[in-house]
Amino acid sequence: MNTLLFEIALLLYFMSTIGHIASLVIRRVLVAKVSTWVLFSAFLVHSIYIISRWAETGYGPVANSYESLSFVAWSISGIYLAFQIMTKTRVLGVFVSPLAFILAVGASVALVGDIAMPESLKGSWVAIHIMLSLTGEALFALAFLAGLMYLLQDNLIRKKKVYSFSRILPSLRDLDRINYISIMWGFFLLTFGLIAGSIWARTVWGSHWQWDPKQISALVAWIIYALLVHQRIAIGWKGRKAAFLSIAAFIIILFTFVGVNIFFVTVHKFM
Amino acid sequence: MNIVLIGMNHRTAPVEIRERLYIVCSDEKETFRKLKETSVIKEALYLVTCNRVEVMAHVDDSEAAIEALKGFIFSHGNLTKEEMEKCLYTYHGDDAVGHLFRVASSIDSMVMGEPQILGQVKEAYRRCVENRASGVIFNRLLHHAFRVAKRVRTETEIASNAVSISFTAVQLAKKIFGDLKGKSILVVGAGEMAELAARHLMHNGVSKIIFVNRTYERALKLADEFHGRACDFDLLGEKLEEVDIIISSTGAPGYVISADMITAALRRRKNRLMFLIDIAMPRDIDPEADKIDNAYLYNVDNLQDIVDENLKERMKEAEKAEVIIGEEVITFARWLNSLDVVPTIVALRNKIDTIIEGEMARSNSWMKGLGEGERDNVRILVSSIVKKILHDPIVGLKEESENGGADPYVAAVGKLFKLKEGG
Repeated sequence: MNTLLFEIALLLYFMSTIGHIASLVIRRVLVAKVSTWVLFSAFLVHSIYIISRWAETGYGPVANSYESLSFVAWSISGIYLAFQIMTKTRVLGVFVSPLAFILAVGASVALVGDIAMPESLKGSWVAIHIMLSLTGEALFALAFLAGLMYLLQDNLIRKKKVYSFSRILPSLRDLDRINYISIMWGFFLLTFGLIAGSIWARTVWGSHWQWDPKQISALVAWIIYALLVHQRIAIGWKGRKAAFLSIAAFIIILFTFVGVNIFFVTVHKFM
Repeated sequence: MNIVLIGMNHRTAPVEIRERLYIVCSDEKETFRKLKETSVIKEALYLVTCNRVEVMAHVDDSEAAIEALKGFIFSHGNLTKEEMEKCLYTYHGDDAVGHLFRVASSIDSMVMGEPQILGQVKEAYRRCVENRASGVIFNRLLHHAFRVAKRVRTETEIASNAVSISFTAVQLAKKIFGDLKGKSILVVGAGEMAELAARHLMHNGVSKIIFVNRTYERALKLADEFHGRACDFDLLGEKLEEVDIIISSTGAPGYVISADMITAALRRRKNRLMFLIDIAMPRDIDPEADKIDNAYLYNVDNLQDIVDENLKERMKEAEKAEVIIGEEVITFARWLNSLDVVPTIVALRNKIDTIIEGEMARSNSWMKGLGEGERDNVRILVSSIVKKILHDPIVGLKEESENGGADPYVAAVGKLFKLKEGG
């Protein structure tokens, strides 16, 4: 039953991906509208899946990295849909739908079956830590996408090439707003995610901080986002500079999430 | 039964000839009276705009009707026959319908995709109805034309991109600011194009407008007209930070707004985006300003390039529109052809009804013995048998007619059933 729900969600993510790309190619708003609804239904089905899975295992939706991927796919779709309602910019869906689909495909590789969970990962602090951090990262991913699109649109307007592709992209202001809100909320969630993580770390390793590569790079990313938040609020950074920095910061976050496990020995590895 | 159209437009006739007809046709009552005087014309519609004169008619005899319509134009335009023949085009049947659809969809317009023409066609139809010059066919035809125009508008991008400098400025502003509600403009200097752009921007939600001019009175006058504010020229530097969009069109020989002024303004407004439109010749705003982050500078040439690009795109979209129009002409022709068999079908039904009535009357004597319910049942039985028998031939006639091949069948049915038209 559970697996079936996930597979339905996966199929809907796929359909939404195709729909969004098709809407770009044939330029029909109706197709984009329908695709948004498809993505919305994917999100709903996925939500039901996560809740029922939670009820079944009692572990929270982020018990292993496959589930985490599924969770990120879910949260990024949810956040995008919220933005869609706020700003009416559908183009972001062209990036978000495939992203959610790919993440869900990654998750589907090993979602089924029982979870062999180490003792250290049981407990509510770790679930809070993972959920907050992942949602924060999903928001940063959106900030990254909005930042990329901002740079593209800015470049097109500056070069006076405002026909063709520029028309499909949202306005500079909407992109900047999405970037801003994503960064603010992402930073807020990541901060509390890290605090929850450090509380949990004390219960497992005996102290709040271990100077682990994962922890260090997470801190570096956090500092960069803190800087970005500061520049935006206090200095009034807008547009290109903010977009650049949010792209750079996201690359560091990606490294924290994936790269550290590959290149370094870290205690923050549970598989 | 046929539809004919004669007319001239900006491509076929010079303005001197068009304007003469324009003046003549402005008396609608007189025009319709003369059109209806012509005996071959059953329905008539005329459309006169600054770019075209079109007269369309539903007629019995095309040749005679076209001569009559031409005569109408000769006599009213005060033109020689040669002059007129050179300028006129003539369309029959489907071509006339297609031309009307093309005109209503703004494919035939001087600025392709311009929105006014549809309103003018609607107005022409309204006059036609008011003067009782329209009938079954024109009512259907014109409503069909309005639908086609709507389809072309929604299914192609013929009208979605700006083809004037001022509208291009509005579209650009939307690309930068998204919604223009609550945004503000500063107009430096005065000029027709600047005022037009300001008007369009305000129409799209811009709420605050400030005018700056070397002559303060001029600024005041404009401020009055636009319900905005006027400001002294010396305060220009300070005002820059207050506004999101700047339109500059002064007659000054050098730059009026320097890059430094923009940088300073951006700093004071915390980097909120600025859109600078320089439509002055020579230019007012230092081109260096284009390199400043969060400021976007467009001059007349930049805007014109976009207009040209959009025009090219409209040409491409027109091809898609032609396909739509082709389809719709066929749809309309089907309906029009099906009218050919309507009198035959009516006559056939009338004849059968008469027969039923007659037979029922004759059977009255023996049916008296039946109860009311039973008599009704007999009646129902008879009419349903007849309906079933007639169903296939009538559907067949309609189908043949939609393909335009009903004539032999109409003749055969008429002969076999000894029908007289109208029953």
